[in-house]
Amino acid sequence: MVEYRIDRHSGVATYVQIVQQTKQALRLGLLRPGDKLPTAREVVEATAINPNTVLKAYRELERDGLVEARRGVGTFVRRGLNTTPADSPLRAELDAWAARAREAALDRDDVAALFTAVLDEHFAVPDPNGRTGRTGRDDRADRHDRHVRHDMNPGDPS
Amino acid sequence: MTALALSPDSPMTTGHAPGAGWLYRLHRPALYVWIGLVALLAAGLVWLWGPLTDSSAAAWREYNEFCLKRGSCHYDPDAIVRYKDVYGYTTAALTALPFVVAAWAGAALFGREWEHGTAQLAWTQSLSPVRWLAIKLIVPTALVTAGTGLLVVLHRLMWSAGDGRIDTAKSWYDSFTLHTNGPTTVAFALTGLAAGALGGVLLRRTLPTLMFALACVTVVRLLADQVMPHLWPAVTRVSGLADGYRGSGLGVDSGLVTATAAHVADPGCGPTLASPGCERVYADLDATGFYTTYHPESHYWPLQLTATALVLAVAAALAVTAFVLLRRATATTASGGAETVV
Amino acid sequence: MTDTAMAATALGKRFGRRGGWALRDCAFRLPAGRVCAVVGPNGAGKSTLLALAAGLLAPTEGGVTVLGTDPASARARVGYVAQDKPLYPQLTVAETLRVGADLNPDRWDAETAGRIVSAGELDPKKKIRSLSGGQRTRVALALALGKRPELLLLDEPMADLDPLARHELMGTLMARAAQYGTTIVMSSHVVAELEDSCDHLLLVGGGRIRLAGEIDDLLGAHARVSTAVSTTAGAAGPAPATGGAPGGPPDLAPHTVVESRVTGRQLTALVRPAGPLAEDWRASTPSLEELVLAYLRNPQAAPLTPAEPEEAAV
Repeated sequence: MVEYRIDRHSGVATYVQIVQQTKQALRLGLLRPGDKLPTAREVVEATAINPNTVLKAYRELERDGLVEARRGVGTFVRRGLNTTPADSPLRAELDAWAARAREAALDRDDVAALFTAVLDEHFAVPDPNGRTGRTGRDDRADRHDRHVRHDMNPGDPS
Repeated sequence: MTALALSPDSPMTTGHAPGAGWLYRLHRPALYVWIGLVALLAAGLVWLWGPLTDSSAAAWREYNEFCLKRGSCHYDPDAIVRYKDVYGYTTAALTALPFVVAAWAGAALFGREWEHGTAQLAWTQSLSPVRWLAIKLIVPTALVTAGTGLLVVLHRLMWSAGDGRIDTAKSWYDSFTLHTNGPTTVAFALTGLAAGALGGVLLRRTLPTLMFALACVTVVRLLADQVMPHLWPAVTRVSGLADGYRGSGLGVDSGLVTATAAHVADPGCGPTLASPGCERVYADLDATGFYTTYHPESHYWPLQLTATALVLAVAAALAVTAFVLLRRATATTASGGAETVV
Repeated sequence: MTDTAMAATALGKRFGRRGGWALRDCAFRLPAGRVCAVVGPNGAGKSTLLALAAGLLAPTEGGVTVLGTDPASARARVGYVAQDKPLYPQLTVAETLRVGADLNPDRWDAETAGRIVSAGELDPKKKIRSLSGGQRTRVALALALGKRPELLLLDEPMADLDPLARHELMGTLMARAAQYGTTIVMSSHVVAELEDSCDHLLLVGGGRIRLAGEIDDLLGAHARVSTAVSTTAGAAGPAPATGGAPGGPPDLAPHTVVESRVTGRQLTALVRPAGPLAEDWRASTPSLEELVLAYLRNPQAAPLTPAEPEEAAV
C-alpha cells in the first residue's frame, strides 16, 4: 500500500504529486500489478486534501494505463513501470555534460535552470483534461518566467 | 468511483420530529430544584393544614375559654406563633414562586440560550425555531401549572381549615392570601414563563431577559391587584353615622353618604359612637351615614377566575408575540404557516 | 435529487430597519458534492451568508435555496457550526452528544460523533465549560456530522485548532465528502488554510460576491502578466494602468484589469484575458491566494460570478 505525502509548498499541483508518488512506488516496486490503491476516502482522511484531487490523479493514472478502477471494489495496479537502468548510456552522457558544466564554472542553480529550460523545450507538459487552470500551472517550476502558449482561453469548457 | 458509491440515508427521512428529551437533559437540575421546592412547600402547607392548625386552634380555644372568661390563663402561645410564622413563610414563598419561575425562564431557559448561541445550535439540529420555542414553553408550562396548582390547592385547604378557628388567621382578602388561595398565582407564574420567552427574542441576553421577565410579572401582579376589584359588581352597604363602616371584604370604595344620597370623602373622624365630637363635622357635610363598596367572600371565585383569565390572556399575548417575532427573524418554510407546533 | 447544494438569487440581508446591508445582491450556485471555500475579510458577510443558508436568519430580500428547497425545510439535512461554536456549557461531552441524538431522532450517527470526539482524547465526562477552544470545535463538529448532513456549513471551523487537530479534522471532513458526497462550505479569512481542501470558491467582500465558481476555472480565467514599460520615464510606485498614453504604461485593453502596478520598468498586472495576450507579455496563472488578494485589494474590480458556472467533470 502506498502512502501519499503532500508538500504544500513544493509548487507542484497536489494531484500531480499523487501521480508522481504512485509512479515512484511503481518504479521502486512498492506497488505491483494487482495491488490496490488506497481509496479516495483513505487518502483524503490522511492528507486533508480535496477528494476530487485524488480522483483526478487516479483518472490520470488510469488514462496512462497504469491502474484500473473496478466499480465498487477499488482502484488496482495494472502494470508496473520500468526503471531506467542506472548504467544506461543516457545517464553517462548526462554525467559527462554535468562535469563539463562544472568546469565551465556553472553553479548548481545555473545547471538546474539550464536543464529545466531544455527539458521544457523538449517535453511538453501533459495537459490531460484539455483544461486550463491550476493544474496546468503548477507543473512548471518556472511558471513566472514562461510565455503563455495556449492556456489563456478563459472558461474553456470540458 | 468506489469512493462515492455509498450515499447517506434517503434524504427524505422525515419521520418523527424531535421530542422533549433534549429539554430534560438541558434543564435536569432545574427540574429537580422545582420538584424539591414544590415538595418542600407542599410539606409545609400540609403541616400547617393538619397539626399546626389544630394546635393553634386549640390554643385559641383555650385562650378564649380561660384567659378572657375566667382570668386564669392556660394556653399554648407557641402553637399560635408557630402557625402564624409558618403561615407567613409558606404564603410568602408561594407568592414569590411566580417571580422565581420568571427569573429562571428569563435567565436559564431563554436568555442564556440566546446569549450563548445555543438557541441557534438547536435550530441547526433537526428542530425548527418555532418548535423549539413551543417545546420550551409547553413542557415548563405543564410542570409549573402542576406544581403551582398543587400548592395553591393545598394553601386553600390549609386556609379553609383554619378559617373561623384561629383568631389571627388571615382574611380571604389579605393581599397575599387573596392570590395564594386561588389560580391567579398559577397565572402569574405562567406570565413569568411567557415573559422569559419574549424577553429572550427581544433582548437576546441573559441579564436583561431576566430583568424583563421579573418586571413583567411585577407589573402584571400590581395591575391585577388594581383591576381585580372592578372585575365583578361590588356590593354597597350603608350604615349609620354612629356605627361606622359595616361589611368586611375586599374593599372597593368607602366614604360618607349625604342627605341627597351623594357619596363624599370621609374626613376620617370615625363613628360618632366612639368619638361624639364628630357629629358636628358630619352635620357640616350634611352626612347621613357611611357607605362602603366591597366584595363579600362570596365574590371570591368570580373575582379569582376573571382575574386569572385576564392574566392568562396577558401571558398568551406575550407568548404569541414571542412566536411571531421568532418566526419573522428566522427562516420559515416556504409553505408559510404549515410548520406544525408540537 | 438535485445537483445544486446551494443557490442564491438577489440575496440581501440588512440588520435593523436602518442598519447597513450585511449582504446584498448575492447570486451564485454551488453544485452538490463540492468543497467550497467562502473567503473574505472579517465583516465581509461570510457569517451572514452561512446563517441565511442554515435558516437561522430570514433574508431581507431575495432568497437562498439549499438542497433544492428552502433552508427551513432542509434543516434536518444541513449541518452548521457557528463561528463561536456554541454548546451547552452545563452539559458534559457525552451528554452533548446525547442531546444531538435527541434532536435528530431519525438521522443520528452516534458512532461518527463518538469517533470525532474520541480522536481528540476528550474525556466524555468533562463539562463543556471546561473545554479549550479546539476541544469545543471538535464537539461542535461532532454534533454537526452526527446528524449525517448532506450539506455542511462551517463558519471559520479551523480558527481555534492547533495544526495537528486542524489536519486531522480537515481529513475527517474530506473523508466525509469522499464517502458520502457531502457538500461542504467552509468560511475563512485565511485562504491558505483552505486551498488544498476546496475545489469551489465564493469570495465575499463588502457584502457582495466578488468571485464565484470552480477554483480551477477561476484561476484559468485570470492571468498574471508582466511586461517591460516601453519608456524609460516609467514612474516608480503604483500607477493606474488603463491609459496607454505615450510615456505611460502599455494599454491592457481589452482585457479586464483586476490589479496592476508599475515598479521601475516593469508592469505587473492581474487580468481577465478577453482574447490572446500580447506576444511580449510574460504570463502565468495566478495562485488562489494571489487571485483573492488582488480582488480584495481592488474593491472596484468587476466581479466574476457566473450564475451557472461551467460544470467540471462530475
